[in-house]
Amino acid sequence: MSLLKRSFEIKARDFIRAGEAAIEVQKILKNIGFDPEQIRRASICAYESEMNVVMHGGDGELVLTLDTEKIMLDINDQGSGIEDVDLALQEGYSTASQEDREMGFGAGMGLPNIKKNADFLEILSDKGAGAHLKIGINLRKE
Amino acid sequence: MSESPRNFKPSSYVVIDEKQCNGCVLCMKACPTKAIRVKDGRLASIEGVCIDCGECARTCTKGAIKEIALKKDDLTPSPNLVISPSTVIYSQFGEDCLPNDILLGLKRMGFAYVHDQSYTSEMVNFALELYIKENRKKPNAPFPLISPACPVVVRLISYRFPSLLKHIPPLATPREIVARESRKRLSEKNGCSPEEIGILHITPCAALADFAKESASQGKYPGIDKAVGINSIHEILKKNIQEIDVDTVLHHSSGIGIGWGMSGGEIAGLKRNCLAVSGLHEVIRYLEKIEMGLLHEVDYIECRVCPEGCLGGPFTVADKHQAKYLLQKLVRMFGVEKRIKYNYVKKLYNNGWFLTERDRTVSIDVPSPLSIPDRIERLNKVQETLRLLPGKECGVCGSPDCQTLAEDVVDGKATLDDCIFFHNQRKKMGAQRG
Repeated sequence: MSLLKRSFEIKARDFIRAGEAAIEVQKILKNIGFDPEQIRRASICAYESEMNVVMHGGDGELVLTLDTEKIMLDINDQGSGIEDVDLALQEGYSTASQEDREMGFGAGMGLPNIKKNADFLEILSDKGAGAHLKIGINLRKE
Repeated sequence: MSESPRNFKPSSYVVIDEKQCNGCVLCMKACPTKAIRVKDGRLASIEGVCIDCGECARTCTKGAIKEIALKKDDLTPSPNLVISPSTVIYSQFGEDCLPNDILLGLKRMGFAYVHDQSYTSEMVNFALELYIKENRKKPNAPFPLISPACPVVVRLISYRFPSLLKHIPPLATPREIVARESRKRLSEKNGCSPEEIGILHITPCAALADFAKESASQGKYPGIDKAVGINSIHEILKKNIQEIDVDTVLHHSSGIGIGWGMSGGEIAGLKRNCLAVSGLHEVIRYLEKIEMGLLHEVDYIECRVCPEGCLGGPFTVADKHQAKYLLQKLVRMFGVEKRIKYNYVKKLYNNGWFLTERDRTVSIDVPSPLSIPDRIERLNKVQETLRLLPGKECGVCGSPDCQTLAEDVVDGKATLDDCIFFHNQRKKMGAQRG
């Protein structure tokens, strides 16, 4: 049963507000007082997935859900989708534009970084039909 | 040694003059931990954690919040007393006053031992370079490293960014190494134990006023005993400087050590990929970024809560921008190559001389008595309450913003009627019905 649900809008190509949803997620988690390490991991996942939407996604939404077991992040967008998920999970692989790279983004570390920090990651995507990321961070330490 | 949050309130270095307080909201809105509440037209309470940043005193325009002026009786010379001025002091006496003159001026005041911090800063700087190099080779070492020098930044990290504590290298700050060096040297010379040596630091920093927080658990050589503000000795020192007849060399560093206290001064000597950030809100913005895993490619970040670094410290006398201009001039004059014995410092480093045993975790993380589901429940209630508030963020209710008022209402420390907008709205609706 979910105890808390919050959603945040993400605007495509809005680099000025990019990262704000992740900061909000971070604030909520801190306010509740989770373990700093779990907050750090969730913040990294939120930030990287938000940046993916800003860069590739078209408009989208980040939904934070909490239950007694885990922190869940659902990121939906209406963008171009991920053509090859396995490839996208490789470090250094990126389809970011020259412009993105000039701003210091698009190093191809986004999805690999999410994978590294999440306990659970599911990527639902088809080329042209947007992407849906489901990210989970367990609250109980194994 | 860990401390309870209660040690922080009220802050160890601000005094509140209630007569001067007119109940405006400036300090309350400036507080980064949202600790201040204003009730009944007065600064009422410190609810949460004070990290001694000094923003409230800096913001107060009514003269109601002031830094505690430190006492001068600590300045009585004794053969076992070492004076260690912060390098910021070199920027406080105008042009044509070189570091050596200032150190001699202190000596002329009767202090037998004056220890120049700028030279030590250059040694610590090189030790830091070695530490960075060593850690870049480790696969999972945390980066960017965050400077341990600003005590408020360390407290801010403890309180709001505890996951970043491991980014602070376990190296002592120059002021701590100065204490260590002089305790060692002088105790050997005077034939006493290191603890019998007194270390008096002359500081621009109000957060260093309470050294109990800083010098606990330093191992064999304890840290600084006492500190006085630069402002409390400025006048008398100035007189002594004017009468100086130069005969001794007490200052040995290059421009790197001299400029250490300005924003960018610590990293100026590091031949690595570094950043300098100063000002409370800028520092918070960067810590948020680091916590999201950004800036990993940066080796070291110099974070200072005061604008323009320690030159903007509350206990300074000179304007921070003029002070910076003076320091930059001195940096050019003395050059930017550290004047240290590199092999000797390396040997000291390998022997662990620069390490600190101090646990920087200031345990101000108040463990909430509520379970996680209860805390989430509280947050949901706060969110519902927040919807009833106008979002003007005015602070007239006595809480710093609508979010905090909502929290205070849920925690039973305030009522919705404290909000003037909510109150008027309800009265109006009551009148319509009646």
